[in-house]
Amino acid sequence: MGQAFFIQLAASGAAIAVLVALAAWAKIARPSAPLDDAKARALFADEFPERSLEAVWVASDGAGALAKSGGLALVICRLGDGYVARQLPWAQALSASFRDGRLSVDLADVAAPRAVIALPAWPPKELAA
Amino acid sequence: MKTFDPVTLATPFFILTIILEIVLTRFGKLRANYEAKDTAVSLGMGLGSTVAGVLFGGMIAAATLWVHQFRLFDIPMTAVWAWVAIFLLEDLTYYWFHRLAHERRFWWASHVNHHSSQHYNLSTALRQTWTGGIAGTWLLWLPLSFLGFPPAMIAIQKGISLVYQYWIHTEAIRRMPRWFEAVFNTPSHHRVHHARNPRYLDRNYAGILIVWDRLFGTFQPELDEEPCRYGIVKNLGTFNIVRVAFHEWIAMLQDVARQPRHALGWLFGPPGWSPDGSRQTSAQLKADWQARTAPAAPPELDRAA
Repeated sequence: MGQAFFIQLAASGAAIAVLVALAAWAKIARPSAPLDDAKARALFADEFPERSLEAVWVASDGAGALAKSGGLALVICRLGDGYVARQLPWAQALSASFRDGRLSVDLADVAAPRAVIALPAWPPKELAA
Repeated sequence: MKTFDPVTLATPFFILTIILEIVLTRFGKLRANYEAKDTAVSLGMGLGSTVAGVLFGGMIAAATLWVHQFRLFDIPMTAVWAWVAIFLLEDLTYYWFHRLAHERRFWWASHVNHHSSQHYNLSTALRQTWTGGIAGTWLLWLPLSFLGFPPAMIAIQKGISLVYQYWIHTEAIRRMPRWFEAVFNTPSHHRVHHARNPRYLDRNYAGILIVWDRLFGTFQPELDEEPCRYGIVKNLGTFNIVRVAFHEWIAMLQDVARQPRHALGWLFGPPGWSPDGSRQTSAQLKADWQARTAPAAPPELDRAA
């Protein structure tokens, strides 16, 4: 790899920085209003069409939601202007760490390691048993 | 081996058109969505892929030249018929490479990178794999060298195909003229390819000519009543570029380490395959979707597919 390659690499890096700055300046991401119960349920229906929901908890900042569906916890979490969905055993969600109003769920997935959901309390008393 | 490189030549055009797509959208003249972190990952993957291309390029060129020694014919680089032939044969090779890269997990582990954005814009086109050299799909192009096409000619045609496929990564163009849509891969056809709606999964593998999909039964037109939702079945939960580049390789190796008895299935089964059926392949997702929607779907919708 000669000097020309490294010059080309540096120029490409600079071009990327400019393009990313331009994308940030343009503010043309998808509009993503905070989730409410209806929007969260619609997202769960899109992502887990085979599952019925027993209970839904929407994050207080509207950036995610968690639902109970049989023995599974269904998780939706905002990433950028999109959402990421995963499912995990309900017992795992129940035992997830909850600190300062934030539930941190280990998704055990290298592509989506953790979901953080702002909730007033966890676990929910009515379903903890 | 210094040859004419269409991709290097087109790089200023790539940058200029991304600027245009962003700025014109900002002023309401085009339809596109850009999210800054997503854009950074897409462009970073493109840059990383260039570095990986340099690292693996020597090995691939050496293999191509080695095979060329045993060529069946001497195909001249100056003949028009030879360019027509390589255009068709390279595009056919691309179709099968692309189909393999979607339908078998080992190759999907490399190609998934190109599909992991939830956006579909010109920057998505540059979101390229870093691990194509490891995946070994470049081997599929060696028969062209064995036939007798000069290695430089193959490299140029591969570059032309890559440059062609750049402009189709946009939502700004709805449909091209009907004759063009019938023959060539277009933004509309390729939006379907990047969609995660069950109806659209594993469809439209074409590089330049969409006729291969029509011929081999993998064509699906974009339907106005079903807008494309972009990304992968299980979207990424991170913008960490190292995770983006290697996540499927790591997940696949974790599966093999956990159940070595099922290594072949984990490596070469379709993405979503699992020995106990606890995960879903594209075929299963499609079957579930069909079972859910079949009674309600108007018949003409299915005929259109």
